[in-house]
Amino acid sequence: MKPIRVLAIAGSPRRHGNSEVLLDWVIEGMMRDPSISVSKVVLADADIQPCRGCNACERLNRCITRDGMDTLHDQIIEADCVILAAPIYCMSICAQAKALVDRAQVFRSRKYVLNLPIIPPERVGKRFGVFISTAGQDWDYVFDAAIPVVKCFFHVIEIKNRDLSYLMIRHVDEKGAVMSHPTAKNDAYALAQSLVQTMKERIYP
Amino acid sequence: MNPISVIGLCGSPRRKGNTEQLLDRFLKGASDAGGITEKVILSGLSYSSCKGCNACHVNGVCIMDDAAGDLYGKLLSADCIVIGSPIYTMGITTELKSFIDRAHYLWVRFFVLGTHVISPEQKKLRRAYFISTAGMDQEDVFDTAFPMINALCNILGFTHCVGVLAKNMDGYGGIAGHPTALDEAYHLGTEAVKGIMDKKPCLRRIKR
Repeated sequence: MKPIRVLAIAGSPRRHGNSEVLLDWVIEGMMRDPSISVSKVVLADADIQPCRGCNACERLNRCITRDGMDTLHDQIIEADCVILAAPIYCMSICAQAKALVDRAQVFRSRKYVLNLPIIPPERVGKRFGVFISTAGQDWDYVFDAAIPVVKCFFHVIEIKNRDLSYLMIRHVDEKGAVMSHPTAKNDAYALAQSLVQTMKERIYP
Repeated sequence: MNPISVIGLCGSPRRKGNTEQLLDRFLKGASDAGGITEKVILSGLSYSSCKGCNACHVNGVCIMDDAAGDLYGKLLSADCIVIGSPIYTMGITTELKSFIDRAHYLWVRFFVLGTHVISPEQKKLRRAYFISTAGMDQEDVFDTAFPMINALCNILGFTHCVGVLAKNMDGYGGIAGHPTALDEAYHLGTEAVKGIMDKKPCLRRIKR
């Protein structure tokens, strides 16, 4: 049986910070199942330039910028599950993660302008997404502005709302703060476990 | 009296696009009313994204020395700023988000260290506007931008005034096809400068 492929994207510019720790816990939880194979990408090292807004992808079905997105584009398509981890900076996902999300414009053009498939038909409805985030502020609305942006990203890469999970922990600012959060670690493991269960049911019917 | 300084930030990576045209109308209105205007194209500046190192938590100083710091210096001394960005993927562009993230050291100064504070009196007369365009004709397409622009206005000590939002650029075939936006921007630019000259606080404020 083919493994279930998970693409885990650490979007924070800070290595091993709070959002990446959450991501690593989720990865660790998922890896307990032998059917899971994980590739982790650190966005800060991935050389993703911002979208130029040229709209060339509406004609070319590819982006004219040659950078780390060349590889990441293919990894996004191949994955059964895409996890995006990004901290909240100034009320939304950090700029590094926004750059990736905007570069997903090529998928939007493919899907809605060129009317071409993002993934082969047999994989539709078998794609999953996770948004992991952390915020320094303790406001209950601190993730609100990030969610529509992230949903838009998952939608264009053919991951539906019902197959999206969220792990968002607020009031963790300094590096390592998430370690002393009362529930974060267990939340991460619980999410991993239930997601693996769902994915196996859907992908290996 | 010192002339009223108005700085327009263009967050679009595309030159002379819908957002920049709208920004230009605002700045024309402002300069016709006697303001000294300047336009800054973010994609033409060289600055890095915030690294999240929190070094600024110690002394309110960013360890990166580039165009973002210089621009923040300018914005702090301006009377009026107008921030323009198209909507990409339901949010402001990466260029603008990257610039706003770099304001963290100023957030630290204002809200943690209590230094470099713009007084509430000054803030009343300092005006910031957000102008934006979106391809989609969706009611909530600008919503996610506001918490970020609000935060920036608070950090820089500006009153966040109602700006110009032009959606459905795809349907109108660009900003020139929009029935009201360009004129609205011009009038708003004029009104902003006149208001600041007359020492009148902005009445149409964005409330969080």
